Amino acid sequence: MCARVASYPQKLKLHLSVLIVLSWCMIATPWRHAFAADASPRVTLTVSQATPRQVEPLTQNAVLRDYKFAWANLAQALESNSAGAINGLFVGDASAQLVAQVNGQKKNGLSSRYENQTHKLEAVFYSPEGDILELHDTAEYDFEILDGGKSIHSEHAIVHYVVLMTPGADRWVVRQLQAVPRF
Amino acid sequence: MSSLTSTAWKNRKSPLIFALLVVCAAAAQDTPLRVPSNAVAGAPATVGTSGSGAATFYLVGPAVSLKRDVDLGKEVALSSKELQSAGRYTAVLCSSSCSSENFFVSPGKPVDLAFVVHPSRVPVGENAAISGVALTLDEYRNLVLAPSSVQFQWSTKGAPAMSHSAQARDGIAWFRTSSGKSAGPLQISAALSNDVNTRRVVQEVASIPCNLRIQGQRTPKGVLVETEPVRDCSGNPVPDGTVVTFTAKDSGGTSFVDAPVKQDVARAIILAKGSVVISAASGVAMGNELRIGGKE
Repeated sequence: MCARVASYPQKLKLHLSVLIVLSWCMIATPWRHAFAADASPRVTLTVSQATPRQVEPLTQNAVLRDYKFAWANLAQALESNSAGAINGLFVGDASAQLVAQVNGQKKNGLSSRYENQTHKLEAVFYSPEGDILELHDTAEYDFEILDGGKSIHSEHAIVHYVVLMTPGADRWVVRQLQAVPRF
Repeated sequence: MSSLTSTAWKNRKSPLIFALLVVCAAAAQDTPLRVPSNAVAGAPATVGTSGSGAATFYLVGPAVSLKRDVDLGKEVALSSKELQSAGRYTAVLCSSSCSSENFFVSPGKPVDLAFVVHPSRVPVGENAAISGVALTLDEYRNLVLAPSSVQFQWSTKGAPAMSHSAQARDGIAWFRTSSGKSAGPLQISAALSNDVNTRRVVQEVASIPCNLRIQGQRTPKGVLVETEPVRDCSGNPVPDGTVVTFTAKDSGGTSFVDAPVKQDVARAIILAKGSVVISAASGVAMGNELRIGGKE
């Protein structure tokens, strides 16, 4: 009986340890979520190299907004295996490729994650009539492939994309998203 | 690698570096995947594996996510359909543990052009009014980023063709030109060196009217006034519907009549009984003044 009753200093140590662990959990959990699974891509755009037409400030804002949404939707579609998220901001070949990828993942029980995305966009061509915009995107993200919830591949990837965007009715849409080894 | 490890071992002053080198050397030797180094879109390729036993092979890339049971030590064949899209692919091989490699598939040769020309209708004599952008695409509609020459050519009936050669950069070549002197269809083509040719048509139309001249006569209903055939400064008849404004000044004041051009001529009847001065205007062009005396 005496062996089962902890002495006063031992109890104090136990309480302190529990308190420290709980405090650490409370402090660390929100930060972990904030940095480990930041779903909103960070996008910056440089337009000084764009030719033959200069990219207007309103167009810059729209491209930034829509490219950011496009990648958020791409990440959501490939994580949840739902092609619906792709609609609207990807069209043509870019949309067809993503839909095929989602369907392939769904068929094989796979999913993939793009987290902590950072995109450095540089406009390199803006057509005279303002209807075709070509961009170079240096993207950085944590990429993970899962098979039935089990991670089979994870990496911190830096990928270069050549992007074609065109104006739609009320937004800029991605027509081509092609990864290249270098620009 | 081995010389580095042996040096570290001899020195024995940096056990951490030695341990890291050993781990790196082991990792380098144990990579069980050999991915293609020069894969081209639409061409079959193989991924080499090492070891023995069963494993699961995964390939994730643009337009593809596949999973396949494979035997270690044998090559994994990737069909042309599985590698149609240019871009970055991740190959993963899992047996007791998983290892992965990334590789790129580059676009094939340009065999198609997406050609966008603006505008579809343009007035003659406009400076730098027509532009075209051509995108070089391979068989599977990947953007061909390697430089390729695109020949733009434009011609109208009865005039010599003009051409401009441009080097596609990052898959894009473009041109800009002025519209011609005569109205009619302007045939524009973009061509690759391998006879791939895409055509577009821009309708060149007459520009704004130039040198309006009017004539008139009194009729029982009023003064019938009409223009001579309305043409632009290059002599092209302006399109039907172009509005000509007739202005009549008489003792009662000033009145206006808008009349559309129909078969090159605009007509109007002006209700005026006394002497009247009539003039015409269309756009920036002003016509002659016409004086018609009063008549009961």
